[in-house]
Amino acid sequence: MSVSAPLRSPNVQPPPPAPVLQKPSSLLAATSDWAVSLGCFAPQIFEYNGSAVVAMVGKNCFAIASDRRLGVQLQMIATDFQRVFKVHDKLYIGLSGLATDAQTLWVSHILLDCYQRLVFRHKLYQLREERDMKPQTFASLVSALLYEKRFGPYFCQPVIAGLGDNNEPFICTMDCIGAKELAEDFVVSGTASESLYGACESMYKPNMEPEELFETISQALQASVDRDCLAGYGAYVLIVTPTEVQERVVKGRMD
Amino acid sequence: MGDSQYSFSLTTFSPSGKLVQIEHALTAVGSGQTSLGIKGSIRANPLPPLCFLPYLIPFTVSTFSSSINCTILAANGVVIATEKKLPSILVDETSVQKIQALTPNIGVVYSGMGPDFRVLVRKSRKQAQQYYRLYKEHIPVTQLVRETAAVMQEFTQSGGVRPFGVSLLIAGYDDNGPQLYQVDPSGSYFSWKASAMGKNVSNAKTFLEKRYTEDMELDDAIHTAILTLKEGYEGQISSNNIEIGIIRADREFKYVIQTQFYSHFYHPVIQSGIAL
Amino acid sequence: MARFDPYENNGGTCVAVAGADYCVVAADTRLSVGYSILSRDHSKIAQLGSVLKFDVQQFRAEKCVLASSGFQGDIKALQKNLAAKELVYEHNHNKKMSCPAMAQLLSNTLYYKRFFPYYAFNVLGGLDSQGKGCVFTYDAVGSYERTGYSAQGTGAALMMPVLDNQLKSPSPLLLPARDAVTPLSESEAVDLVKDVFASATERDIYTGDRLEIVVINSSGTHRECIELRKD
Repeated sequence: MSVSAPLRSPNVQPPPPAPVLQKPSSLLAATSDWAVSLGCFAPQIFEYNGSAVVAMVGKNCFAIASDRRLGVQLQMIATDFQRVFKVHDKLYIGLSGLATDAQTLWVSHILLDCYQRLVFRHKLYQLREERDMKPQTFASLVSALLYEKRFGPYFCQPVIAGLGDNNEPFICTMDCIGAKELAEDFVVSGTASESLYGACESMYKPNMEPEELFETISQALQASVDRDCLAGYGAYVLIVTPTEVQERVVKGRMD
Repeated sequence: MGDSQYSFSLTTFSPSGKLVQIEHALTAVGSGQTSLGIKGSIRANPLPPLCFLPYLIPFTVSTFSSSINCTILAANGVVIATEKKLPSILVDETSVQKIQALTPNIGVVYSGMGPDFRVLVRKSRKQAQQYYRLYKEHIPVTQLVRETAAVMQEFTQSGGVRPFGVSLLIAGYDDNGPQLYQVDPSGSYFSWKASAMGKNVSNAKTFLEKRYTEDMELDDAIHTAILTLKEGYEGQISSNNIEIGIIRADREFKYVIQTQFYSHFYHPVIQSGIAL
Repeated sequence: MARFDPYENNGGTCVAVAGADYCVVAADTRLSVGYSILSRDHSKIAQLGSVLKFDVQQFRAEKCVLASSGFQGDIKALQKNLAAKELVYEHNHNKKMSCPAMAQLLSNTLYYKRFFPYYAFNVLGGLDSQGKGCVFTYDAVGSYERTGYSAQGTGAALMMPVLDNQLKSPSPLLLPARDAVTPLSESEAVDLVKDVFASATERDIYTGDRLEIVVINSSGTHRECIELRKD
């Protein structure tokens, strides 16, 4: 190998740009790439299966409901899909968003994975502390767990509803990276969330008794999913009071 | 730690089935300065058991970082106390604090080796903060005790380390009420109504057994705590050579500041003829 | 490089409800761009069939009202265009345009600009030739449908489920075709419209300030305003 010559003669070489100027621009480029990939990718993922989850507070009780459709984009896959899970007798979590990833053929239940990790952590807590988690505590746990995956999130938006120490109802929702949002009336999530906001805002009133709460949440959910192609096929509704839990399947427009 | 020369545990069983390292650690505790704790019980109708203890007068105590005024109202809680004997009169006694807060509602005192204690305090505080960060809720006393005990146990089985030369008294107040725990170098822990450790432990315990009653309330307990320390102390005790920490139903662990201590809190005790 | 972008969304919501002998058309009066409010008192409702009189303050006994959200620049141009066409119609036919005729005209006008559309989401309300309430709802390029009620604009997604729930429109697939008009009385319909706007205003940042309601019935058009949240 010959002696390496300079690639360019020094006199024709353009003055190198000041490194100080280069750094911010390259940093900016990296940031915007990342933002674009997350900003454009994520919404599609959330709409892949379609979902509607809502929780409402009543007088010493709460209701949490979800639709039953599971689709892959516009194609319906299942009509009895459960999105609301029990944590303990007085604490439930609804997970909207990506349920399965059918395209990679092995069924990766992102939503179920998220749920199972939560159940695991809750059982660990139950064994260690010999008590059930308070809803507020559970919400913090979910938030922390989601934020652990800040840069590769679970594509689901949880709704948490429970009865606390004095049977005080608690509801909250958060985004897929764990930013909590507490409410005193209702929380919604899923592809039908905008419709749900409108419906709940119109139909909700404070201090409803369990039966009226059931009627209201069912009407609100049904009205909302009927305006969302990706959600529907009836609903699961749970009404939780200090003494009993009622699970009802509501049949709506089955199409 | 695996490839270290001392990757084996130094705490090994003797042929008779004892872990002598742990027994040595307990000896270190036993020769340490006396500390004790008493749990005051909840009474339906709190009445002043000692007529000279002034109720409802504000006294100044220190919380974590600041001094606040507070009124004695709650009848239950836990007191922990220790003697603070310094090696020389030249030591600035204000620079030594043997009672520490772990969380806003949990405090700890030790008998044994000071430096070991500080390591445990650091680890426990970190554990408490991790719990808080995860659940946005203060760690329950039992959980913090368990975590701390787990650390102490780990140091009896890990390679290259020795057991801690301290026993801890952890006092706290949470949803389960007032609590007092002792944690030993082996990592075992017990819940007490009242306990003592360190030098003179048997005398102190005998004294406590005599004085302790089920319906003893906190102010009574504080008084008993001081008397117990006084019994075993070689020389005159004063606000300069004892430390007191209190946790009440307000769930704020308070370290009683030396200067306040004498003028406000124990002043009546002196009046009653029990000279400090 | 800056791209040529002639469109802006000024937000706002329009609703129309048809009854047996009336039609309610309503829209909020907020005009926004992004996170800014440009005006709290900008009418989105235009009276059609009133020649050269576009001032919303001067409703005359006419039978057709257009409420539009989207880009208000395009909307103004569209209204002007429609007015001109309507004037020609009046001159040629010597009569006012009926509401269904206006609906078809609006569709044609929108489709004419199929490849450079008006950024306008319209709801047309009025009385048909039998005096029955009618609502026509559009997309930006002129696809339209006669319905019993409709909502368009930024708050539409929030309002439609509630309107569905309260007004239960029969499926358009049913045979024989059912009447699309709602069973409510005029005052009930006005109250419902007020309710859905109050609700949408809670959650939609582009809807608020004031609600302008126009009721068209056999005695003419009547305008009413109520206040909405201003935050």
